[in-house]
Amino acid sequence: MTLIDIFDPKARPTPIGIDLGTTNSLVARVRDGKPFVIDDCNGERLVPSVVHYDARGGTTVGHAAKRLAQAHPRETIVSVKRFMGRGADDPETRRLGPYEFMAPSTPEEAKSVRFQVRGRAVTPVEVSAELLKELRTSAERELRSVGPAVITVPAYFDDAQRQATKDAGRLAGLEVLRLLNEPTAAALAYGLDKQQNGLFAVYDLGGGTFDITVLLLDDGVFQVKSTGGDSALGGDDMDRALAGRLLAEMGVEGATEPEVVRLALDLARDVKHRLTESPAVEVEIPVAGSADATRQITVTRDEFDALVAPIVERTGVACRRALRDAGVQASELTGVILVGGSTRVPFVRSYVARIFGKEPLGDIDPDEVVALGAAIQADILAGSQERADEVLLLDVLPLSLGLETMGGVAEKILPRNTTIPTGARQTFTTYADNQTGFDLHIVQGEREMASDCRSLARFTLKGIPPMPAGLARLEVTFRVDADGLLSVTAKELTTGVEQKVEVKPSYGLTDEQVEEMLLAALDHGEEDLEQRRLVEGRVEADRVLLATRKALAADADLLEAGERERVEEAMTALEQAMKGTRAGVLQRRIEALDEATHGWAGRRMDRAVARAIAGRQVEDLESEVAHSKGVDQHVAEHRANAGGGG
Amino acid sequence: MNDPFATLGVEPRFGLDLRAVEQRHRELSRTLHPDRYAGAPAAERRLALGRAIEVNEAWRVLRDPIRRAEALVALAGVTLREEAAPKADPAFLMEIMELREELSEVARKKDRGRLAALAGQVRAREEKALGALGALLDSGGDDAKGAAKDVEKALPHLAELKYFRRFLDEVSAIEEDLTDALP
Repeated sequence: MTLIDIFDPKARPTPIGIDLGTTNSLVARVRDGKPFVIDDCNGERLVPSVVHYDARGGTTVGHAAKRLAQAHPRETIVSVKRFMGRGADDPETRRLGPYEFMAPSTPEEAKSVRFQVRGRAVTPVEVSAELLKELRTSAERELRSVGPAVITVPAYFDDAQRQATKDAGRLAGLEVLRLLNEPTAAALAYGLDKQQNGLFAVYDLGGGTFDITVLLLDDGVFQVKSTGGDSALGGDDMDRALAGRLLAEMGVEGATEPEVVRLALDLARDVKHRLTESPAVEVEIPVAGSADATRQITVTRDEFDALVAPIVERTGVACRRALRDAGVQASELTGVILVGGSTRVPFVRSYVARIFGKEPLGDIDPDEVVALGAAIQADILAGSQERADEVLLLDVLPLSLGLETMGGVAEKILPRNTTIPTGARQTFTTYADNQTGFDLHIVQGEREMASDCRSLARFTLKGIPPMPAGLARLEVTFRVDADGLLSVTAKELTTGVEQKVEVKPSYGLTDEQVEEMLLAALDHGEEDLEQRRLVEGRVEADRVLLATRKALAADADLLEAGERERVEEAMTALEQAMKGTRAGVLQRRIEALDEATHGWAGRRMDRAVARAIAGRQVEDLESEVAHSKGVDQHVAEHRANAGGGG
Repeated sequence: MNDPFATLGVEPRFGLDLRAVEQRHRELSRTLHPDRYAGAPAAERRLALGRAIEVNEAWRVLRDPIRRAEALVALAGVTLREEAAPKADPAFLMEIMELREELSEVARKKDRGRLAALAGQVRAREEKALGALGALLDSGGDDAKGAAKDVEKALPHLAELKYFRRFLDEVSAIEEDLTDALP
């Protein structure tokens, strides 16, 4: 098998699945229909999500970086996921930690946290991109050619956090096929492996995030019923709680040097891990004010449990709400799947058993299952036909989307737990005479007031023709794609002139900024970027041509007069462009083929829909036949009775 | 909004076998879900995304009795505008006000037993209104005119249902607060 991988020059790039975790990250792929985690160069499967920035401007990632964290706490970013998509004033920046943050000098900069590392600003997107590059390198070592990627995100990630993750993928030079929710990925890997149907809860407590998802597994359909969580709750908080206690034992109070904080956090994590097996552990802590002196203290599991109980109990609120949103009782669950390293903590396990009234399933590796699910999804999306027919993932929007209305109230446009992709339309009118602009503020969250929700985007629809108040009609359309990402369009309807504005929720980095960073990261800038666009263009062209050929084989009868010629012409032109070296030409030819197949694609979709409906109507017909038989019988009996009476 | 019944290919009526409609939603999702078009040309992907959204939205409307009824009302050519929304009768409004007062008292006293009883009472009323609504919307009338008249007659029941829904939402919120306050 491996030989073929190496020697087949036409081998298709292998799609990969990435679990970009708070504490550890993994990359996996599917081989012979089964998912496997890919080892890094040291034969390790888990890559610590740690990035160290050295004095020469280089980076070190993973185990090596983790070892540097102690000596260089400010230059080594740990648990960057906690900062993804968060603003400079986010409470997360004020928790116990060794970092220094750049003060924002413009409102634009304030939208994203920026670490101050060796005098320069580093955003969480850039740090995450370093992690992803490392994983890509591991994948390249094992695979001849690395294909597109599915990256997992906590189900409870909001739009900004998702967008940030996707941009990190792009910055790492990956084609991001899909953002997949971590609990759904876990359910996919578990469900396909065990071939079990039923209603499951996935309890995912990682290093920095918590998700609870209730979903139905039904013959390859993975339908998420509800999801909930907290994107700032995880094992790191347990470490902080315990580190606080250790610092007190050391005699350290209040703010202290980053080295000491880092040490306390690392010791706490170690104690937490050891307490999984032992009821009490000893730990050596330095004595404040003396360079080398240490002393030994004992931490018992009971003490630890008491420290973390308030943290773990916060998950219970989300669990109960998820069950309620799904409209199910805990007793109806077939099983509870545990995901994330923090579910190894005995107190967490017993708490989960208490909340759901049953012992969680024990035969799943909580560290690897998410990456395995991501690899399966990548394999399906990249065209594994048999799987595609068998598997269907129906996920949901985790947090309500809304607009700020008069008085600062957030009006929900799309409620949480709506199946994605989804969309909604809302019309608004002007409130003042001759008003020519209209402000829209899009928010995400469950709170009543817009100011308490996450602000995703503000934009002004301009150029409304002057008219009396209440006459202009503005239609705002929300669309959430299968990644859970929002796009908004708005148009003015009355004048017949359609005004259209596209917005992408901003979390601090614009498309242009990402592009610039990409450019800066490459050795030969423009040249490399052109080369990369060409390679990506060829991959896309290949895919589009393949899809078109398949469509020609199946649905050529739906082509209208002259259409076939136009399609074939566009295909030939694209094939020519693939041999060339100009990315721009390639892109235009891809678009031309797109254009040529557009009307036909609509007709093919209509046919597929008609078939899907017809498949069912045969059964409907049968039941109608049965029903009409009943009526006939009834009529016959009635006649018989009437005959008997007469 | 497109006709959600047509989108899912089901008969436009209030009384639907929701399990069959859900099954239909799944079959159409299998056909139109963006996952099935991941390798398709961009224009086709956009097209499929739009249609997948329509299918999901149609299922969201049909599974909810209030929105299903509103869709039927719209299909019958009766426009529902907020200012022209059917007014429930004053006696009903009085009754709702009394129920609400009782609810806030129950919430204040954290009386779970009475909360459940109150919810049960309103659920029974909701059930009855749903029955009446369904009978009128699916009557078929003697002719098109008769059917439209029945739709008009159904509107007050629809208004009542909205009051019940809001009431029961509040019950859930109170239940949530009471449960989460537990140690």
